[in-house]
Amino acid sequence: MKREHNIKPPRLATALLEWYCANASIEDLQGDLDELFYANLQRTSVFNARLKFWLQVLSLVTSYAIRKRKQKSAFHPYSHSPNHYAMLRSYLTIGFRNLLKNKSYSVVNISGLAVAVAVSLIIVLFIAQEFRYDAHHANADRIYRVHYEKKFGSNHAHMAAVPAVTGHSLQQDFPEVESSVRFINYGTYLVKTNGATENIKESYVLWTDSTFFRVFSVPLVAGNPAHALAQPYSVAISRRMAEKYFAGTTALGKTLVLDDRYTTTVTAVFENIPTTSHFHADILISLAGDWPAAREAKATTFANNNFNTYILLKHGTSAQALEAKLPAFVEKFAGPPAPDKVDRLTLMPLRHIHLHSNLRGELEPNGSITYVYLFALVAAFIVVVACINFMNLATAHAGRRAKEIGVRKVMGSLRSHLMRQFLLESFIITLAAFFVAVGLAHLLLPLFNTILQTELMLPFQTPFFYGALFAGALFVGVLAGAYPAFYLSGFSPVNVLKGKLSAGLSKGYLRSGLVVFQFVTSIVLIVAALTVNQQLDFIQNKNLGFEKDHVLLVKDVYVLRPNTIAFKNEVEKISAISHCTISAFVPVEGGSEFPRRDRTFWKEGSAPSGDNLVSLQQWSVDADYIATFNMQVLQGRGLSNDFASDSAAVVLNKAALRQLDLGANPIGKTILTFTGYNTPDFDHPKAFVVVGVIDDFHFSSLKETIAPLALFLGRSDGFLSVRFAGNPQPVIEALEKKWKQSAPGQPFQYVFLDEEFGKMYASEQRLGKMFGIFATLAIVIACFGLFALSAYTAKQRTKEIGIRKVMGASVRSIIVLLSAEFSKLLVVAFVIAIPLAWFGMEWWLQNFSYRVALGVSVFAVAASLVMCIACLTTWYHSYQAASSDPIKSIRTE
Amino acid sequence: MKGYLGEFEEVVLLTIASLGDDAYGVSIKDEIERRTDRSISIGALHSTITRVEEKGFITSFLGEPTQERGGRRKRFFELTHTGKVALHEMKNLRDDLWRASKTNLSLAK
Repeated sequence: MKREHNIKPPRLATALLEWYCANASIEDLQGDLDELFYANLQRTSVFNARLKFWLQVLSLVTSYAIRKRKQKSAFHPYSHSPNHYAMLRSYLTIGFRNLLKNKSYSVVNISGLAVAVAVSLIIVLFIAQEFRYDAHHANADRIYRVHYEKKFGSNHAHMAAVPAVTGHSLQQDFPEVESSVRFINYGTYLVKTNGATENIKESYVLWTDSTFFRVFSVPLVAGNPAHALAQPYSVAISRRMAEKYFAGTTALGKTLVLDDRYTTTVTAVFENIPTTSHFHADILISLAGDWPAAREAKATTFANNNFNTYILLKHGTSAQALEAKLPAFVEKFAGPPAPDKVDRLTLMPLRHIHLHSNLRGELEPNGSITYVYLFALVAAFIVVVACINFMNLATAHAGRRAKEIGVRKVMGSLRSHLMRQFLLESFIITLAAFFVAVGLAHLLLPLFNTILQTELMLPFQTPFFYGALFAGALFVGVLAGAYPAFYLSGFSPVNVLKGKLSAGLSKGYLRSGLVVFQFVTSIVLIVAALTVNQQLDFIQNKNLGFEKDHVLLVKDVYVLRPNTIAFKNEVEKISAISHCTISAFVPVEGGSEFPRRDRTFWKEGSAPSGDNLVSLQQWSVDADYIATFNMQVLQGRGLSNDFASDSAAVVLNKAALRQLDLGANPIGKTILTFTGYNTPDFDHPKAFVVVGVIDDFHFSSLKETIAPLALFLGRSDGFLSVRFAGNPQPVIEALEKKWKQSAPGQPFQYVFLDEEFGKMYASEQRLGKMFGIFATLAIVIACFGLFALSAYTAKQRTKEIGIRKVMGASVRSIIVLLSAEFSKLLVVAFVIAIPLAWFGMEWWLQNFSYRVALGVSVFAVAASLVMCIACLTTWYHSYQAASSDPIKSIRTE
Repeated sequence: MKGYLGEFEEVVLLTIASLGDDAYGVSIKDEIERRTDRSISIGALHSTITRVEEKGFITSFLGEPTQERGGRRKRFFELTHTGKVALHEMKNLRDDLWRASKTNLSLAK
């Protein structure tokens, strides 16, 4: 065989093959290739031989033979081949041994992560629920609620309710509207079955159209959705109600008596409306026929925005396109647009209502997307803080693993193998933490459910839950383990085996940065918790213009008619009661329970126009109102039964005085208002003489400035408000006894004014408590990390401390020395955290018209709190290191 | 499919048998190309060899380093007993089928 020694196979091709095959054994294949090449050289040109060589290489690269050989040789812990399984098992064994060897380290890591994950898990459950609202309706993506923005004069309102005529007219005018349905909320009803003597109060009652079951997907237990609610005096009730009133029998066709006045027939029983609905009705009353709400439903004018109206769009129609046509539609009813006037209808998708809508006339208080984001952010931060512990400890303890890493590398481990090993170890820790976290979350859920007022549960039945948990553990494992894996696997084997590791480690800028981040988070959360609670304190203790303590409200006194006054006289005889008054209007806010009524007034001597019309709260009260609530009369006098003329008298608050522009001496001046109900009668205004001025009092939430308000002498018998002295229990008993005498068979219900007042701020109180918990957790987790880190630092400087002590350093000076490092980090954390917290809290406080000033004290408290906790945490190890015997520490080699 | 033997696999096995002690990559390739007049790539050949080896029809061993291959060793192949049995079964099947269809397969008009 002749050979041309200078011609060799293409080098690039051989290199490609060698690179591709990595460490697979391909010696025989390379031999075959070479042999073929030289054989070809004898037969054809060099170029052809080379070309063939290339083709053969490519055929090999893509062949099954090479794939198989690579699999056999490749070091691959995740492959299923038994050989690699052994390596994986070795990693697991080493991982578990390391966990057991450094118990305190493992406990810090696992418990820190577990606490963070448990809280995040609960928050994720909460958020998932918030986003599930109204998703159960099959047509959810085609249902829109009509909103109304109205502005005239100084009045500007954004309402979730529209005039009665809107829904039906939209359906008539626009072919894309398939159906519409309305709700009107007339508050609570007293309900009993036919023949029963005792009434039961039901809070979740709505009036609605017969189209309800067509628009919303509320499954029926009994009855026909097409005919239910079609007839006057028909109601549909929930399964809960059916079980309550007609236990053991069918409810369909039975009779329910509402408010002792209306006899209705049950035409359908529907499945209980799920928690995740923006409205909850137990009783739906038909708007057909000729009874109070039904009459209002037939109104054809564009007045009285009382109906929550939903439209169902046809398939394939666009809500935006319809919305664009709405201005012309409104003009038909409300007249042409004028410069100082806004009448605008907008559409809101059903699924946005719960998180994005907070307007006047909502059926129930909704959630808030801001709080959802805020909680999500905080949950993420807490997990990151816990991950940081892991990173810090893993890199700080690198020295312990350095020798192992060196030996592994010398024995042929690649960097990627080591990274896999460390990632696997971090995954073991996170998986363990997730196990603990699920248990912890299960224990903590009742607490959070109380605070958040929800009924969250861990979905143990859903397989997705376990998948998500595993994915979460994987994610957190990589998040926490990636940096240590990258860092540890990067050691040069020569250096670590020589013991030169510490030089590279002492920098630790990243570690310091991470500690700073942890403390920034803690400080911001502490400031947030303190500020929210301070604002709540401020609300509780602010001078409201009336006295909210020691006032008891007896509900629904209208059932006593016509004996209400007699009952009031009876109540006044109870010795502990100093004053009592009957009025539907009380100075707290809270949905349909506490009504409000607006009316437009102007000053006598001017023509009514957009400039001088003032919308006043028009409250009908009796002569004892001001005394009962202990409001302050600034000028003139309160209303009185002694003056016959007081039926046309009015007492204004300061805000009303200012807006009506009545001057410094308003007593005796007259204000006017339109008469007529739906269509204002301009020619015959009604006049009221101002007899007194009271100080402004907060009749709605402190988020709003005090609006103009006027008190009139009139009958509105919603509540009997009672100011009492001493212990409330005997007062309640005495009241109940008198109630039972005057109104047998009616439920006696009462609330305390201060408690109702507190409910207005329920969501703020929740926020305050949640931030309190978050802040505590963040600082606990951060301290876990700091505790372990200080142990490490102290240990690393053992020898230095020993030498210092031999040279005469005192224990105190060494503690100061060791603490100084952490103190510096804390100072940096303060510098970063303070502006962040400041802006965040300023933003939140802007919700309130009446708010605390952000004081230095909050920041000082947060700072000293974190400082103290951090010092205590590091002090333990510092003290141990400083007080140890120098002989022992120097001798360690 | 452990027992299944494809056409090319059968050819490779029979070629290995026919080459006796000298059955390695290049010699198998050359022999098949010579007899069948078709060109086969080294990748395809080795893939098939790997498969029949996994099925247990052949075994392999490395030979001594040789000069003409730059000191690289050859991998020699030989039939196992299972391989021989599989070939015999295949031949029996063919024979049976041929016997059964002799008249129909006759090329004479």
